[in-house]
Amino acid sequence: MEALLKVSGLNKTFGKKKVLHGVDFTVASGHVVGLVGPNGAGKSTIMKAILGLIPTDGGQIQIADQPVSITKHQALRHVGALIEYPGIYPFMTGRQHLNLFAAKKQRKQHIAHIIQVMGMASYIDKPAKSYSLGMKQKLGIAQALVDQPQLVILDEPMNGLDPQAVKDLRDIIRTQAKAGTSFLISSHILSELEKVADDVLILNHGHIIQQSTMQALVEAGGTTYIVQTVNDREAFAALQAAHVPVNLVDRQLQITQTDRTTLNAALIALVHAGIAVQDVTKAQHDLEQSFLDLVEQEVH
Amino acid sequence: MGTLIKQELYKLNHKKGTWFALLFMVVVQIGFAVLSWRYPKFFGTQMLVMNNYIGGVLVDFIMIASAASMIAMEFQYGTIKQLLYRKYYRSQVFVSKLIVLLMQMIGLQVVATAMTGGLTMVVNPKFDWTQTANAMPLWRDYLLTTGGSMLVMLLLLSLVILMATWFKTNAAAIACGFIGYFVTAVAAQIIIMFVQRWHWLKWNPFTMLLTGNQIVDPKTYHALTMLDTPVMIGCTLGYTVLFTLIAYLSFRRRAV
Ligand SMILES: Nc1ncnc2c1ncn2[C@@H]1O[C@H](COP(=O)(O)OP(=O)(O)OP(=O)(O)O)[C@@H](O)[C@H]1O
Ligand SMILES: [Mg+2]
Repeated sequence: MEALLKVSGLNKTFGKKKVLHGVDFTVASGHVVGLVGPNGAGKSTIMKAILGLIPTDGGQIQIADQPVSITKHQALRHVGALIEYPGIYPFMTGRQHLNLFAAKKQRKQHIAHIIQVMGMASYIDKPAKSYSLGMKQKLGIAQALVDQPQLVILDEPMNGLDPQAVKDLRDIIRTQAKAGTSFLISSHILSELEKVADDVLILNHGHIIQQSTMQALVEAGGTTYIVQTVNDREAFAALQAAHVPVNLVDRQLQITQTDRTTLNAALIALVHAGIAVQDVTKAQHDLEQSFLDLVEQEVH
Repeated sequence: MGTLIKQELYKLNHKKGTWFALLFMVVVQIGFAVLSWRYPKFFGTQMLVMNNYIGGVLVDFIMIASAASMIAMEFQYGTIKQLLYRKYYRSQVFVSKLIVLLMQMIGLQVVATAMTGGLTMVVNPKFDWTQTANAMPLWRDYLLTTGGSMLVMLLLLSLVILMATWFKTNAAAIACGFIGYFVTAVAAQIIIMFVQRWHWLKWNPFTMLLTGNQIVDPKTYHALTMLDTPVMIGCTLGYTVLFTLIAYLSFRRRAV
């Protein structure tokens, strides 16, 4: 697939502090790429460089094969972005903000559409100074999307959004990506991007320490199942006897899947021991743990 | 560039302050017209006409506030990134703001002048626009005074814009603009005293704040400023351009 955004050898120094060390990556058309890293890793700095907002110290950025820098903005024509926090004029309404940034062509339809999909209709005509944090965040995202960009750059877009809004945003991103729009989305929580990103870049101290598809990352982390039985203590003993990788954590039986047959083996062992299984669920935090492990390894 | 100018006008139009300030100016002008109608001895028509029924000084204040906030608000509200990441450059964003400020200044002055004409017709229909003032017909004196004060206004605004690029908040930039307005006026008076002693001091920018006065009354002011009027006009424009350039460099360097 053709790369819409190409970043190669990107370096950035603030004073004496080197913040980005030869960052390389690409974003393919129609792909959603997650940029994940702890606070201060350099996520916002990368995004600002891509948007020609800050000078860089070497490296190349290209959007649709056109170079971008602080003095070359032509390629940013079809880019929408929300960096760090939404910029909002308190004296204007949400709709006026969208009016300000939407291109003339089919302006009304595009604005109406974005208001509807973002669920902002009830407050879009009120002055933005009355908005809550999440409403402002949604307006910031809507501003990034309203001009029908080819590339959308969102810096921690889930900040301040309630679960419904997070789901809406995921749906919008998936729909737009299917229509060919590329996304670069940052977060310091990997699992936040699990359901939306195709590819993941893990950034730590200005280095990209891992670059893979989301699926590979999820699989590499292994899956943990929580098994509930009528008698967890007995079940634990039975599973250990059967050499199933099992842990008893907080009175929960946790089984870490090492290959496809682990769960089967566990269930067979329990059936043989005559212990009734009541429930099997997938643990939620494994992805986050694998991310933390990666960052941790990097430090040591 | 056209898009940027339209965007600036759109924001200016939706700021309540813009229209409130205009309304305030008109109300004050009407107020002084009423006063001059009730107490013609204290509020002479000629004095009020020359001051645009106090509208002249209000145009100054409104423009200082507008210039300061047009730059500073983008940083305060964090909207500067949205302006700059598009296909435009900082220079274009900056120039579009200058153009819109110029448009606002001209617009305000047109309203102030129209109100001055209209109010005079109502309050003192027999007012003689051709009477002699400063050795010329009064209407001419009015036009020269207005033109001169607009020229000096440009110089002041370039300083306000320069200052606004240093501030984090709107309110601080506006307050500093107002204080600067009075301070520069006083400084101009003080420095002019020293010009008599050290002639080279006449080239300082504060001298140029007297350009408006010198245009209307060259004889008196030439003795103070020691500069010919055309030279003063040139210097005023020169300093305006210089301060605007420094303001642009400061705007360009500012981190987003
Ligand atoms: N204008 C600046 N001047 C000096 N240092 C800066 C500047 N902007 C960022 N930095 C430094 O660069 C590093 C990366 O910052 P950046 O904002 O890119 O991190 P981030 O990954 O976006 O973090 P967060 O998750 O907290 O948003 C930090 O160490 C920060 O202190
Ligand atoms: Mg950041």
